[in-house]
Amino acid sequence: MFGNKLEVSMYRYNPEDDKFPYMKQYKIDKPTKDIMVLDLLNLLKEEDQSISYRRSCREGVCGSDGMNINGKNGLACITPISSVIKRNKIELRPLPGLPVIRDLVVDMSEFYAQYEKIKPFLQNETTAPEQERLQSPEDRDKLDGLYECILCACCSTSCPSFWWNPDKFVGPAALLQAYRFLADSRDLKTQERLESLSDPFSVYRCHGIMNCVNVCPKGLNPNKAIGEIKSMLHKNKKDIIVSDKI
Amino acid sequence: MKGFLIWNIQRYSSLVILCYLIYIFSFILLSENKINFFEWSEFFLSFQSRFFTSIVFLFLVMHAFIGLWTIGTDYLTKRTLGFLNRSLSERASLIRSLYFMTFGFLGFMYLFLILYIIWI
Repeated sequence: MFGNKLEVSMYRYNPEDDKFPYMKQYKIDKPTKDIMVLDLLNLLKEEDQSISYRRSCREGVCGSDGMNINGKNGLACITPISSVIKRNKIELRPLPGLPVIRDLVVDMSEFYAQYEKIKPFLQNETTAPEQERLQSPEDRDKLDGLYECILCACCSTSCPSFWWNPDKFVGPAALLQAYRFLADSRDLKTQERLESLSDPFSVYRCHGIMNCVNVCPKGLNPNKAIGEIKSMLHKNKKDIIVSDKI
Repeated sequence: MKGFLIWNIQRYSSLVILCYLIYIFSFILLSENKINFFEWSEFFLSFQSRFFTSIVFLFLVMHAFIGLWTIGTDYLTKRTLGFLNRSLSERASLIRSLYFMTFGFLGFMYLFLILYIIWI
């Protein structure tokens, strides 16, 4: 299907042996059918056991194998090589902006710290009903396109604002989850959540360049969620001004 | 300062600048005769033009400073300068403060000169 040999250029870095990272070139026999990038990595690992990468479910659910494939972030397990191959070559790099632990494995502490910051759990201090807190079908519909995020970090690590300020800017993935709880009719901490996002960095560092939307392997739209948060912050501010006048 | 306020200042100031451009261009395009020096001077010496120009340049300086502040806090941080050089990274706060002071001073001087030229 692709000729005889496929060139794979891979980012390699082992802090125990290498002073600097480097790109290593591999040539493998072209697969007879269209395989996923993760399958390609598995083939390479048979040749070179020292290659490191994360993987788990191999079907786009766990979000472990996020990486930069030919310049665009994506999940290796659901990216067919036919969709990324350029001039018979594939370049694999770790997710940009995060510290590299080894090869394609990055340290995601900064990413998870931002996720932790938005308190990604339902906050409702009223007495819990016997079975469950119910929602109307309309309220439930508001969560579609938000809860599906698998936290692969493809979006946040394609965002320049997150590259420059990963400690201050919450990033698209965590902001999508922030809006998931802001939009949830069962959550009662809307005011506190908005207050925690009202500084100049947490939300407002998003300049809407939409890299996050471009790379999301689940087809979600963090940029729209960020717009909704900004809108809520705006309305919230106006409410405060009005109530002060009264 | 709240992000909400900064975000709004930047957006609304750009709208004020747009209104000013419309004001200037409508004078140029709607003039019946070919504009000469006297007409141009008369237009700019009117109170409304001087007042509008003063307001617009105040907004322009604010707009520019927010943009430059964003650039400074993106690219002149310990992390970002660390990509270039470790000693630069260690002096990131100083470099950023100098950057803000320089542009703050230039912005202030720019506004001062504009107001001086227009009103005095």
